[in-house]
Amino acid sequence: MKKKFISALLCAAMTASMFAGCGGSDDKAADAPAADGAKEEEPAKEEEPAADAESSETETEAAADADAASDSASEGGSLAYSGEISIMHYSTSEESEGNGGSDGFRTMLKEWQDANPNITLAENVLANDEYKTQIATLAAAGDLPDVFLLQGMNTKAWAEQGLVMDLTDVVNNSPYAADYKQDYFTPFKDGDGKIYGLPVLTGGTCTVVIYDKQMWKDAGYDTFPTSWDDVLAAKEKFAADGIDTIAFGNSGKWQANSCFMSTIGDMFTGKDWFQSIIDKGGAKFTDQEFVDALKFSQEAFSSGVFNEDFNAISNEDAREYYISGDAAAFIGGNWDVSYVMATLKEADEEKYNNIGFATFPSIEGAKGDTNVQNIGLGYGMAINSKVAEDPDKLEAAIDLIYKLTGPDFANYVATNYALGGLTTVDDVDLSGFDQVTQDFYNWSYVDTNTCEIYDSYVSSAVWDVFNTGLQDMLNGDKDPETVASETQEAYEKNY
Amino acid sequence: MLRSIKPKGRVIALFLCIPVVWYVFSVFVPLITALFYSLFEWKGGPNKTFIGLENYISLIKDGTFWEAFSHNIYLVLVCIVGQVGIAFVFVLIVNSRLTKLKGIHRTFGFFPSTISAVCIGFIWMMIYDYKRGILNWILEVTGHADKVKVWLNEPSMVMALVAIPLVWQFIGYYMVILLSAIASVDTEIFEVAELDGANAFQRAIYIVLPLIKNTLLVCITLCVAGNMKAFDHIYTMTEGGPGTSSMVMAMYGYKVSFAQMNMGYGSAISVGIFIVSLIVIGGSQKLVNWLMRDKGVE
Repeated sequence: MKKKFISALLCAAMTASMFAGCGGSDDKAADAPAADGAKEEEPAKEEEPAADAESSETETEAAADADAASDSASEGGSLAYSGEISIMHYSTSEESEGNGGSDGFRTMLKEWQDANPNITLAENVLANDEYKTQIATLAAAGDLPDVFLLQGMNTKAWAEQGLVMDLTDVVNNSPYAADYKQDYFTPFKDGDGKIYGLPVLTGGTCTVVIYDKQMWKDAGYDTFPTSWDDVLAAKEKFAADGIDTIAFGNSGKWQANSCFMSTIGDMFTGKDWFQSIIDKGGAKFTDQEFVDALKFSQEAFSSGVFNEDFNAISNEDAREYYISGDAAAFIGGNWDVSYVMATLKEADEEKYNNIGFATFPSIEGAKGDTNVQNIGLGYGMAINSKVAEDPDKLEAAIDLIYKLTGPDFANYVATNYALGGLTTVDDVDLSGFDQVTQDFYNWSYVDTNTCEIYDSYVSSAVWDVFNTGLQDMLNGDKDPETVASETQEAYEKNY
Repeated sequence: MLRSIKPKGRVIALFLCIPVVWYVFSVFVPLITALFYSLFEWKGGPNKTFIGLENYISLIKDGTFWEAFSHNIYLVLVCIVGQVGIAFVFVLIVNSRLTKLKGIHRTFGFFPSTISAVCIGFIWMMIYDYKRGILNWILEVTGHADKVKVWLNEPSMVMALVAIPLVWQFIGYYMVILLSAIASVDTEIFEVAELDGANAFQRAIYIVLPLIKNTLLVCITLCVAGNMKAFDHIYTMTEGGPGTSSMVMAMYGYKVSFAQMNMGYGSAISVGIFIVSLIVIGGSQKLVNWLMRDKGVE
């Protein structure tokens, strides 16, 4: 009898553990690898596990915060609303250690909570990968939280379905409206110019030329050349020493798009062309300017300026060429900059102090802007359209997103991390940072013109086709016209 | 006596139903949902549009899918010859009376099969690396500097280069299976054949091969099935590049579903992979049976 009972119990436990493995896995980062594995085997099943976890975990820490706040702060906010506001974001406490944007975000949330003790912030915090799955699932179910981070790519689709609120007036009536960097709003606009999100967290460039001032000085250049022809000339000098002029890595295929074409394209086509691509305003990938940009890229990569194995190594490998001195410069994104800086600071103080930052040199025949770099904010604070039913709640939600994207945030990340956000702040005190960090801040936010990051927009279906063709093209195995027409075909079919 | 300790039918059914439910849940449910989703245009959001068989029509016309399929077939052929063929030769060598330290050969032969695919991918990437790779280094020190290449960036060679690690990894695996098959054959048969004057080659073809035919068939089926779903090694080494030169079917399905967020078409690709794999595996079994038909043993 006893045995029977135990075996039944074991049986139940086994079955339960089996199903527990499938559902509700999204709340812990540790479970993520298992979930990924399942994804690879069977694409179509992906939606189900996420749906299970839908509303299972609201962080208890929010409640604790709220208690603490109501004890300490009696001055209260000026907001009429009292009750709960649900917010979902991906600035986890682990992430915030060392990541300025996350730290700033959490700090602003805490400050706002302290100032508004009557309002309970129900936070749901997930790691970024899980966040993306979860928020898409919630959107599919029409069950979005009150306030959340909207990814630029999703703006149009979700706006069409009425899931997110039109924030155009909120932006225009903002007390900080004059200080907003208007370019950052582009990913969060629909075709009619309505705005659905306030860009949040910190912006970082995707295309920066890092160069070794000393190496270029030895080759006869005081700074990185401002024209491509000079780079070609410099190549001869570096090649004689067995050094690559510029290191680049494109084995993942996205690098040549995000960290090269996006900026080069803008230099050839100007801003209107890409805006028209975003708005489906008639611009085509087969337009001559864009094909010219592709042609230039193909020539650039066959000219010998770049390391020969650029298509076989990743950006992580390529930046090591720069660090080890095998290359005189490197093109990558802000994430590469932080790695290179951190590594050199530790390993080679002198080479660290020789780091210089530059934009891509001007190209003969390119009619668009010069001195450009693609920078942007991938996520915007959005409000669930259902919140409008309660005007007091809406007012509170708007106040919250002003706080998260406003000058307080920008000041915090600038003074603590030398980073910038949506709002411009004057007279940032950078004196606590060394020269290289200050240089990078000024290069990123002050001294350069900006353009869009291609793959923040349109559709991943288009970019995957483009990236694959681009890799072939840079090898010389495909001509620019073919890549352009294949991309155009994917664009017409998928966007 | 036996009957008194035999569990009730109910209990047996209950225990059996655990793996059955698990199997149905992890194999049939996804397969059927994939079949269902493949009839929709679904870009991963809340909206799905029913489009009937349109995904399948584009699949049939999709050059990349068939290119990926041809790469899978290439892998299958290379690996049957490379993995099972070389393993068979190794087994004969290890089994020979003259070989010493058989245990060590077996263990070390099997060793690569225990390493994860991602590690294998990275190990071989280091071998092929342009600046620091062993391959280019050997070419340079042996005076063939002109043959130095960015190996994984050569469209015409990349499939062969990614097949080598696959072959290398799994020789030991098939070796162990074939060794156990030979171990179950009565050694007197080999001794008699030797006394009758059959040489090593004749013994391999006319005695060993027919006697382990069924195991060999299992090996070939495993090999075909394994290579029809090849993914991880290639993903680590080239991600299907340059361009689509080393794209395989599973990777294409993954790319369409998750990189392009085109779930409907991605599901159609999965169903397509399922169908062509069934055909290839079934076909290969028929072929092996037919090749072995006059080798005596059933």
